[in-house]
Amino acid sequence: MSLRRYVHRARKDQDLAAEIESHLAHEQDANAARGLPAEEARRQARLRFGNPRTVREHVWRYRSLLWIEGSWRDLRFALRSLARTPQFAWIAVLVIAVGIGVNTAVFSVINAVLLKPLTYPDPRSLVELRNTSPQGAFPGANIPKFNVWHQQTGIFQQVAAYDFGGAGLNLTGGDHPEQVQGIHVTADYFAMFGAPVIAGRTFTSAEDSPHGGNVVVLSYGLWKSRFGGNSKIVGSTIQLDGQPYLVVGVIGSSFVTATPADLWVPFQFDLNSQDMANYFTVVARIKQGVTVSQANAQLILAADQYRRTYGGEAIPPQGGFSVVSLQEATIGDTRFPLLILLGAVGFVLLIACANVANLLLARASARKHEFSTRAALGAGRGQIIRQLLIESLVLSMSGGLLGLGLGYVGVRLLLNINLGNIPRLGANGASVSLDLNVLLFTLGISLLTGILFGLVPAIGASHPNLVATLNESGSRSGISFSTGKLRSLLVVSEMALALILVIGAALLVRTFYKLQAVDPGFDTHNVLTMAMSVSGDRFQRTAPVAQILRGGTERIRAIPGVLDAAASNSLPLDGGLGMTFDILGRSKGDRPFTGGAGFSSISWRYFSAFQIPLVRGRNFTEDDDASAPGVVIINEAMAKQYWPEGDPLRDRIQIGANAGPAFAELPRQIVGIVGDTHDGGLNRDPFPIMYIPIPQMPDAETALNSRVAPLWWIVRSKVDPHTLVTPISEVLRVASGGLPVAHVRTMDEIEVRAISRQRFNMLFLTIFGVAGLLMAAIGVYGVMSYSVQQRTQELGIRLALGAQASNLRNMVIGQGMALTLIGVAIGIGGAFWLTRLLASFLFEVRVWDPLTFVGTPLLLSAVALMAIWIPAKRATRVDPMRALRLE
Amino acid sequence: MISKKAAAAGEILQGTLDLLILRTLVLGPAHGHTIAQVIERTSENALEVEQGSLYPALHRLEDRGWLSSEWGVSENNRKAKFYRLTAGGRKELSAATKRWQRMTRAIGLILGELNE
Repeated sequence: MSLRRYVHRARKDQDLAAEIESHLAHEQDANAARGLPAEEARRQARLRFGNPRTVREHVWRYRSLLWIEGSWRDLRFALRSLARTPQFAWIAVLVIAVGIGVNTAVFSVINAVLLKPLTYPDPRSLVELRNTSPQGAFPGANIPKFNVWHQQTGIFQQVAAYDFGGAGLNLTGGDHPEQVQGIHVTADYFAMFGAPVIAGRTFTSAEDSPHGGNVVVLSYGLWKSRFGGNSKIVGSTIQLDGQPYLVVGVIGSSFVTATPADLWVPFQFDLNSQDMANYFTVVARIKQGVTVSQANAQLILAADQYRRTYGGEAIPPQGGFSVVSLQEATIGDTRFPLLILLGAVGFVLLIACANVANLLLARASARKHEFSTRAALGAGRGQIIRQLLIESLVLSMSGGLLGLGLGYVGVRLLLNINLGNIPRLGANGASVSLDLNVLLFTLGISLLTGILFGLVPAIGASHPNLVATLNESGSRSGISFSTGKLRSLLVVSEMALALILVIGAALLVRTFYKLQAVDPGFDTHNVLTMAMSVSGDRFQRTAPVAQILRGGTERIRAIPGVLDAAASNSLPLDGGLGMTFDILGRSKGDRPFTGGAGFSSISWRYFSAFQIPLVRGRNFTEDDDASAPGVVIINEAMAKQYWPEGDPLRDRIQIGANAGPAFAELPRQIVGIVGDTHDGGLNRDPFPIMYIPIPQMPDAETALNSRVAPLWWIVRSKVDPHTLVTPISEVLRVASGGLPVAHVRTMDEIEVRAISRQRFNMLFLTIFGVAGLLMAAIGVYGVMSYSVQQRTQELGIRLALGAQASNLRNMVIGQGMALTLIGVAIGIGGAFWLTRLLASFLFEVRVWDPLTFVGTPLLLSAVALMAIWIPAKRATRVDPMRALRLE
Repeated sequence: MISKKAAAAGEILQGTLDLLILRTLVLGPAHGHTIAQVIERTSENALEVEQGSLYPALHRLEDRGWLSSEWGVSENNRKAKFYRLTAGGRKELSAATKRWQRMTRAIGLILGELNE
């Protein structure tokens, strides 16, 4: 079909008008030629032609796209009609904006975390290598594993390793040494992740071999802040832990990874190493055409090879290797909580839809006359439905636009408060952005909601009973039975949905308070922690570390306001190491006399600094050093689990028997039992932990420890610990011969961070629950006040016949509460069914928590009662005379 | 009944007006009034062009690209819009003529049968 006919319509119409004039003139000429007088000739010409306007309209209409024209007309009409009732329009737009806003907010987080591809080249082919066991799959690798995986050239194109820079590095040289985040990587790391080199180059494989020399690649941030962005830095040397390192390159600022780094140094793996401790992560790029399941099949063979090469102890029985896509690995366990949140905002949107549908139904019944008149004048059913749908789409699109803004601003505010340890959000949630995905999502739900809440009243209004409606004397003769039922149904569903939301939120709030009430087993108040990196060559042996411990502890304790000082290689609630052990004198492998436990190396004042109670035996002392017999202290959980009978204080244990040469531990005598701490998180039961004194660690163990973890200083004070940061850093610098400290945090801060995910879930779900509750309250208020307004006459008659005002009020309240209670009953049922999805989020709160399941419905009913009270009160103020005169 | 039939005889069958216009313009460009007159006279006044549908038909044909038009001065020295057959219009004319002939033949066959 040609589009020609739709363009220049007005010009063509003018042309046609002139053409018709010309035709009439010619006809008139012809008539005059037949001898008619001029006036008659003209008259007959016009008579014969008929009405020129009809012809023009005919052509005009043929040239129009009727549907679009009609919609445009409907749109203008809709805008006019909404403008006539601005209050209604605003309420509807706001309700939709809240519904769409929360959805946009949650979706923009989901988009950033779950949907956007990783920012590396060809991210789909990147996988993380995992150790599988019957308990699950965990990352973590050692050199023997890296060696075996590196040989799988049939499935992997590239294999690279990196650590998390846990120990930190000291950037020395110059007046003020600085602790920096230095990550160890293999040479292929940069190519695999597509790191942009803006100056120099990355490591060669020769530099990544043992004795490859001291080389370093700088990050853009460090290059700018510490070296002023001077490009001559490439080729010069900088001091790391007192050693000169050659700067070979600088990486651009666009390189963002899950493990941020100030600088990178090569691993320089000794591939002959037998060291079995897992202390880094391995990522591989799968060959083109190889699937994840093919790779996993090949890795079963690789695990066999590994077992043959390094012995059966190197890998647990039934253990093996596998890969998981790097995106999945990065997302981790955040997918499910985010989907739960998406479900929750879906509920909020449904409540918003029901609310607006209710408003539209009320409006539609007030406009019955209008529709009947239009139908009587010949408007088709389709035309009326279209008119109403366009009105609701105008509302939903405006609401969507507003909601987009609300949601975007809202999510930025919330993420500024709390990131909940969710990966991929960037600093303060910077990677949560308005991209095409979010815009399309918002557009999509706006259209969908517009159709959803618009269609119900539209269909209801489109088959009016013309005669009945037009014959009705006014619009006050009452709400028709079917619309009334529909509106009640909507209110009941709103109540049910809101109740489910609020119950979910209440369960999380209760969980959060239970978590906060957990006694972590140590005193977090006024405890300052800071990290000292002991990664240099000086600290490959235990003695110098022990010396710093002694000097540092002395000097810190001399500072006024300090109560106690200690050091350790890990902090409670902050992650730590695990090791296996055997109880000497029991048959090996005979459970429960061999097993695993947390492994914490500490200084002798650790328990007093944290106020962890000694249950039995004795504490460590300064004399438990390298020259004294080996000792170990265990916690109560370990005593309970491994000594169901017998006295642990009479036993000796052998730690890390199979963990490779780094753990050349001698047997240790158990000398004490201390109280449990919630090291693995407040929501977990305390697990077994063994504490060993740092001065008694074998040198190889210290060397490994110094590589993977900093030395944490722990200071208890009388005063606000923040005021002590400067003097403590100063004395530690003196005691350590110039080492800086970093990562200064109080234990209170660490505790807050440990429950930030729960706080995040609670915060979001509570906001959604409150939004849903308020909307449902508005919904029941709207329905009841409309019903009171519609029944003014009936109420007036009742009053005239002697009904008491209180009777009327109770009648309205009774009807409103009946709807509420039906909704509550359905909501309780729904919540019983749905809260099991929250089971994994709860702590010491049951899925069917009685308090929540009783208290929340009461709360909802109370809110509903308040909302109903207003129209109920209004019902009592009906003036019988006025009500009757309305007729 | 009879009068109604007689009235109907002069009306142009739906869809045939296009064909008649195209055929008329084979003779050369013409304006609307001339086209109507030519059709009526050629048919020995058996057909009467309803003037209200002539112009919509002309515009439709022009939109389809079968006619082109320009303003000019008529034989009466009046301004008039002249229509001209385009190449596409010629093609359509021969196709439409064939369709028409096939149809009249088919109808003729049926009517002939009935007459016997």
